[in-house]
Amino acid sequence: MIDAAEERVIDCDWHYQDSFKEVAEYMPEPWYTKYKRSNWDDAGVKQNLSSFFPTSTGDRQNYGKVVREHSNYPDEPEEPERVREGMDFLDIDVSLQISHLILAMGGVNADDERVQAFTKGYVEYMLEEVLDPDEGVYGLAPMPYGDVEASLDILERVEDEEAYVGACFVTAGASPPLGNRKYDPIYERCEEMDYPVVYHTGGSGLDEYVRAGYQEMIETHTLGFLESNMSQIVSVACQGVPEKYPDLDIVFMESGVTYIPGLVSRLDEEYLKRPEEAPLLDTRPSEYITDFYFGTQPLEISARNDLLELCFDMVGTDRMLYASDYPHWDFDSPSVINDLPMLDDDERRAMLAGNAEEVFGL
Amino acid sequence: MSSDADAGSDTLVKVGPAEEFEDGDHEIVEVGRAEVGVIRADGEFYALRNQCPHDGGPVCTGPVHRELVGEFQGTGKRVSQEYGDESIVSCPWHGWSFELETGKHIGDDRIRVPTYEVVVEDGVVYVDGGD
Repeated sequence: MIDAAEERVIDCDWHYQDSFKEVAEYMPEPWYTKYKRSNWDDAGVKQNLSSFFPTSTGDRQNYGKVVREHSNYPDEPEEPERVREGMDFLDIDVSLQISHLILAMGGVNADDERVQAFTKGYVEYMLEEVLDPDEGVYGLAPMPYGDVEASLDILERVEDEEAYVGACFVTAGASPPLGNRKYDPIYERCEEMDYPVVYHTGGSGLDEYVRAGYQEMIETHTLGFLESNMSQIVSVACQGVPEKYPDLDIVFMESGVTYIPGLVSRLDEEYLKRPEEAPLLDTRPSEYITDFYFGTQPLEISARNDLLELCFDMVGTDRMLYASDYPHWDFDSPSVINDLPMLDDDERRAMLAGNAEEVFGL
Repeated sequence: MSSDADAGSDTLVKVGPAEEFEDGDHEIVEVGRAEVGVIRADGEFYALRNQCPHDGGPVCTGPVHRELVGEFQGTGKRVSQEYGDESIVSCPWHGWSFELETGKHIGDDRIRVPTYEVVVEDGVVYVDGGD
């Protein structure tokens, strides 16, 4: 077994605990002024507060059980220097920062410009205050994909910034789903820029993610995070995004790994019975999906080893990316990869850093 | 696919008069221990093993159509869909569909129904059951 602390570790999913108050300083008008006059303050950082209302079932910190020594989360907005502190704690050399607040964008149904304004402010805020390639702190640019033009503006803005290494699509709430041709121009541009598309699951609206009436977060978090990613994997694959943009690197983040064999097996069964409904595909959807990359967190380390081995075998350890999700409640440290008995040391190194180096050009 | 070669061979199995076939019609015959379906499409005869590799269904008794194919028309454009040149037969049990010409599954060409040579001589259709 390798000593992960002595190896390079790239964390593909760290959530910077951005606050509306700080990002608002960088938002375009009229949203800057609207925000200042709105009394919103930092709302959104404290998910234990927002979860009291029906945006998300239950308390993410498990009612006071989960605390974070190396982050201000969940009580206060993060301070940039604490990211490096947390990375040192986990022995992580490079992290990709993904907005914490943007994960709720799927809950926005109004035809206003909240998401556009936030993402534009966020990329400036992070560049100015947080991201620091010299310290291994990189970012993914959030896409306000409901507005294709605004998404292209953001890509244009970050194209020459070393600190940004990919685009992030929150999978919850995307309607139409993300395989729709509406999003083609974003994919085309990402392919042109050699920017990986990182689909990140999200939990907004979990109270009614498919049906209303669940009672606890153990139910909605288990199901909602799976459903949000699965729905987009099916759409992206069946609508032929990998055929339309063959050089586009596709990454799915934060639903663990055990759902993948089940999903692709079911999808293949459907496809063999009705392939003309996925007319751009040359072969089974699983062949495309196992070419995607997958963030491993939250890795199901309590599962049977032979199930995990099957997952790694079906997808390939060259397609797995270590991700911590720090400082969220169910983060993974690098040891969850290092301790897997079915991997050899080369596979451990690939999952901890090598694959990410290749995908994100780090 | 049909040919006019060697109707006198021992390996030929008689199917019936060609004129009794319309496009889309099939006839099932025994070739050795295998059940084989002879199908007419666009005036041509094809023969495939009448056993779907999926669940053993009588694939050759299913409907015969042209394959619906799609083409990427460019960024942001709807994928075009039209019926192409390839004739396919769909197993009536679950819809697994195969090219009549090659026996290949239209979604995964690694899956294949065995095909046979068809001979038409003097207005009579035969399946060649030889190697």
